[in-house]
Amino acid sequence: MPSAQFRTLEREKRFQNPPKDHEEIYPLLKDAIRPHLGSFNALTDGPDGGLLNLAVKDIGTKTIFDTNDNSTSDRLGNKLKIRVDSVQLVKPSVNSNDKLSINRKMLPYECRERMITYKSRLLLKVSWTVNDSPEEFSEIREVGQLPVMVNSNRCHLENLSPEELINYKEESDELGGYFVVNGIEKLIRMLIVQRRNHPMALIRPSFGNRGASYSKFGIQIRCVRPDQTSQTNVLHYLHDGNVTFRFSWRKNEYLIPVVMILKALIETNDREIFNGIVGSDIKNSFLTDRLELLLRTFKQYNLYSKQETLAYLGDKFRIVFNATPDVSDIEVGKEVLKRIVLVHLDNNADKFKMLLFMIRKLYTLVAGDCSPDNPDATQHQEVLLGGFLYGMIIKEKIEEYLQNIRLQIQADINRGLAVNFNDRKYMSKVFSKINENIGQKLQYFLSTGNLVSQSGLDLQQVSGYTVVAEKINFHRFISHFRMVHRGSFFAELKTTTVRKLLPESWGFLCPVHTPDGSPCGLLNHLAHKCQISTHDSDVSTVAQCLAKLGVSPAHTFAAGPNVCCVQLDGKIVGWTSHEQGKVVADTLRFWKIEGEHGLPLDLEIGYVPPSSKGQYPGLYLFAGRARMMRPVKYLPLNKKDILGPFEQVYMNIAVTPEEITNNVHSHVEESPTNILSILANLTPFSDFNQSPRNMYQCQMGKQTMGTPGVALVHRSDNKLYRLQTGQTPIVKANLYDDYGMDNFPNGMNAVVAVISYTGYDMDDAMIINKSADERGFGYGTVYKVEKVDLSQSRRRGDPITQHFGFGTDAWPESWKEKLDDDGLPIIGVKVEEGDPIVAYFDETLGKTKVKTYHSSEPAYIEEVKLLGDDNADQEGQNITIKYRITRQPLIGDKFSSRHGQKGVCSRKWPQIDMPFSETGIQPDVIINPHAFPSRMTIGMFVESLAGKAGALHGIAQDSTPWKFSENDTPADFFGEQLLSAGYNYHGNEPMYSGATGEELRADIYIGCVYYQRLRHMVNDKFQVRSTGPVNSLTMQPVKGRKRSGGIRVGEMERDALIGHGTSFLLQDRLLNCSDYTQTSICRQCGSILTTQTTVPRIGSLATIRCRRCAQKLESYVQKHGYADDSDIWEDGQGKKFVGGDNTSTVAIPFVLKYLDSELSAMGIKMKYNVAPC
Amino acid sequence: MASQQREGFSVPASISHAALGQVTTKSLGVKYNCAQCASSFSLGKNDAIRCKDCGHRVIYKARTRRMVQFEAR
Repeated sequence: MPSAQFRTLEREKRFQNPPKDHEEIYPLLKDAIRPHLGSFNALTDGPDGGLLNLAVKDIGTKTIFDTNDNSTSDRLGNKLKIRVDSVQLVKPSVNSNDKLSINRKMLPYECRERMITYKSRLLLKVSWTVNDSPEEFSEIREVGQLPVMVNSNRCHLENLSPEELINYKEESDELGGYFVVNGIEKLIRMLIVQRRNHPMALIRPSFGNRGASYSKFGIQIRCVRPDQTSQTNVLHYLHDGNVTFRFSWRKNEYLIPVVMILKALIETNDREIFNGIVGSDIKNSFLTDRLELLLRTFKQYNLYSKQETLAYLGDKFRIVFNATPDVSDIEVGKEVLKRIVLVHLDNNADKFKMLLFMIRKLYTLVAGDCSPDNPDATQHQEVLLGGFLYGMIIKEKIEEYLQNIRLQIQADINRGLAVNFNDRKYMSKVFSKINENIGQKLQYFLSTGNLVSQSGLDLQQVSGYTVVAEKINFHRFISHFRMVHRGSFFAELKTTTVRKLLPESWGFLCPVHTPDGSPCGLLNHLAHKCQISTHDSDVSTVAQCLAKLGVSPAHTFAAGPNVCCVQLDGKIVGWTSHEQGKVVADTLRFWKIEGEHGLPLDLEIGYVPPSSKGQYPGLYLFAGRARMMRPVKYLPLNKKDILGPFEQVYMNIAVTPEEITNNVHSHVEESPTNILSILANLTPFSDFNQSPRNMYQCQMGKQTMGTPGVALVHRSDNKLYRLQTGQTPIVKANLYDDYGMDNFPNGMNAVVAVISYTGYDMDDAMIINKSADERGFGYGTVYKVEKVDLSQSRRRGDPITQHFGFGTDAWPESWKEKLDDDGLPIIGVKVEEGDPIVAYFDETLGKTKVKTYHSSEPAYIEEVKLLGDDNADQEGQNITIKYRITRQPLIGDKFSSRHGQKGVCSRKWPQIDMPFSETGIQPDVIINPHAFPSRMTIGMFVESLAGKAGALHGIAQDSTPWKFSENDTPADFFGEQLLSAGYNYHGNEPMYSGATGEELRADIYIGCVYYQRLRHMVNDKFQVRSTGPVNSLTMQPVKGRKRSGGIRVGEMERDALIGHGTSFLLQDRLLNCSDYTQTSICRQCGSILTTQTTVPRIGSLATIRCRRCAQKLESYVQKHGYADDSDIWEDGQGKKFVGGDNTSTVAIPFVLKYLDSELSAMGIKMKYNVAPC
Repeated sequence: MASQQREGFSVPASISHAALGQVTTKSLGVKYNCAQCASSFSLGKNDAIRCKDCGHRVIYKARTRRMVQFEAR
């Protein structure tokens, strides 16, 4: 068994002399983020000028006339045809107004520190012609600054060596793949979408909601244009046998009879359509009946030729497509077909054939001869990559830009301004009037994740596209880039089918690495070897190879599931028999791996064999972008093959070489660990654990207080956790080193004894050796950054009125204990709540003011950064202060091993009282044996054993899962190592009580386990309150830890107190400690709202009277003729009253008063009967 | 938390002036370092925040040369 290595020297040398070659960056890590980088690079890079240039080509030309559209005259006026010729994105640089900076590059680290966006200028070359003249004008317009992906081909960090990266203040192995937006690292997360260009058979009850005759059957195809934008087409089966074509355009749905589209695509006849769908199955009356109906019902439109049909379509869609009056209906009709129908194909004949295939598949589905395809299986899924989505949004914004030009010109015409297309000055004026800031819109997209779009981009959600790439530790960070989400649409779905783990996902999506709880199964992570293709593979030789293999061309007379349809990226390239189809598939595979026929290795050869009511058969080839791919070994040639999820379903791949059976398996896995994600692979001996425990570890690994990076000085994250005493694990999988995890240690090796020793280790509590703690076990630090912006309250353009530093007025000398002469805190000084952190002079008030530190936790000033502005024409207004908060392990802090075994530190036990073994070893950590039986984390025992053996022999241990077997157990392997070191084979040891020195009655299982300190710490969580702030309306204590509020004694707590009969305690909680108030009440009328205190007379106290029961003095005197002077009382306004003296004081909850006043506002009186009890 | 909430630190009486941190009366001036070229310089009150050498836009405040003394508990 190959052992892992510590590679200490290698690592140290790498740190001391960072490699000067960019190839030295860990290749596996680079692969991990490749989908993100590759998709972004594809925007500007590629054989056809990048996706953005393809996009502007697809947008095409907009036509504008200089007269009003509604004019009835035939004259249309001058014609302006405007288009975007090309798109260019430059590298980020400093502002051109900046005359001071010597280095003109804008680097990502500066954006992080200054909390700005890493962006660069986006340039559009806008071209226009007037009245179709051959002369074309063009102008390059700058349309804002576009956020740029770090490490992409538009970033200064591309292809830099670790040494250069360090010079640029980055991590030595900076991977990029994210954007820096307002100083925050954001990435566009990958989304699962339907596989492109493959018609999928669906049975969806919701299809029936579209109308009375609509059935649940449909065929859906997501067609992707060369610029990666997509358009979904659906064929609906109607109960009478008809077929309707449905699509969405600008968020509206449209339905067209499918025959109309067929007739519009090419010059055809009913016979051709019939043959193309039915083929030789003319005996199939189910099919022929429906075909007859399909063709017959279309007769009502009276459309026969292609031109007629196009004109009809064009007429209907003229408004929708915003067509100008100069284009004919036929042209509009062609535009509809080009932009809507099977947009992945550019040839109408191909579209026609594909549509016939789809109709046949639909009829087959309805007849029950094929099964519906599962949209939740990876077979029918691909990944929408961040860069491609970004490009789609840019495309839409560019189109909007052209529309805005038209609207602006329209507005000019309406306003009666002189519109002259031939005048460059006029055109420049138009450009300057419209909003040209496309970059800002994309910045909004990245910072909020909200998609603002006219078309909806054929996607199902409008928000949640971006996430913050949190650098809590490296596990968390790298996981973000491997994360694929199913779409937030599915999160609300009540059915759980989308969340199910399917065996098809083997090697593509990790079965372990998904969170538990609400996103379970929706938020997946790619298996660590899974790649996403970001470029189109070269398929130029495929047709040739197929012809060589005897595949008949696409136009042959064939249709239906009885023949094998050969498709390449959604284009029918030929037909063959099923027997031949299998041979073709096998031969193609052999050829592509052999590499002699010019076939790309990543060509996906999905052969679906004929079956009884199974998936619709055929041979489907895929070579496009956004496919999931993974490497396996091809047995006949013993060479690497690249598989996709479509073909994998019908292949026999042995997981281990031992498993290979002759004539069954064609492939074997490179390693069984290819099923797992990066994080799941790092769990030691995960094959010995109960599976949910491995899921928990994947979550906890991401919450560990570890090492977020080493270039922390150049970062300004709001909050950063750091473990001071990280170690490399003794027990680690070999992949741990391949991923360079030692650069970012995530925990510490601890001597762990499994023993119930003190009573403080019950129920997932753990005891830490106090001396281990003092030696630095688990010591961590939290860095917090606060930004002070003096210009915040100032409006733009106003002069600066607040300056950092002290003024000439008098201010407390004690401020100077924490602050320097510049008004900024002294580096390294300790600040506590209320201490000044920055002094500034306010000109308008003429006073020096300070901002104070607001946190109950003391901190040290780690860094003060002064942030300049872009132009250097003003004094500084921005600083950031980084605080260092020490976080030694405390009772109540959370720790975990790598096996989903978390626990809370319950005591720091003095070392002298800890048990010790015969060799004098005392544990760093004690956990309770009860943590194991129900959880079955045998992997932790094995790790303990392996760690102990490794520590004794000074070797690292490989913990890759599936390395051991029934005959070769780890207990034996590591047991032997322990034996040879003079220890017990089983890992048990006799131990002695630290308190009494007596030998414990049982041998104790003790070994080395790697422990992680989780970021959940008591200091962030404890909540206490005796008295404190109250809600002003109800006078009840406020809630929330931040506001020093209380913890609610809720309904269930109340039930418990009632159940215990502790009524006084209940009274205390619910009244006395809450909104207890004493209030006066009128015994006569029973109201608490009408009582008031009187104005005291000289020589007597104020009394409480009921205003309602009192009589005004005048009316009293009128009635009784006389009022005794002592009975008269006076209110605050000097009005005199008599009576209303039957009042008393009662204790009530204050909310009652509030309720009473609310009710009285609605005209409801509350009367209380008061009596002594 | 426990360590900070012990009885407050009282300055030992028999200690030298240096250790007492009484040099503070002498102004040492505040220095700044450029984030890009690491050059050290001082800044005037109304200066724009730019490195004096390379014109870079982020500068760090240098650690004080004053004595900073903590209670070592």
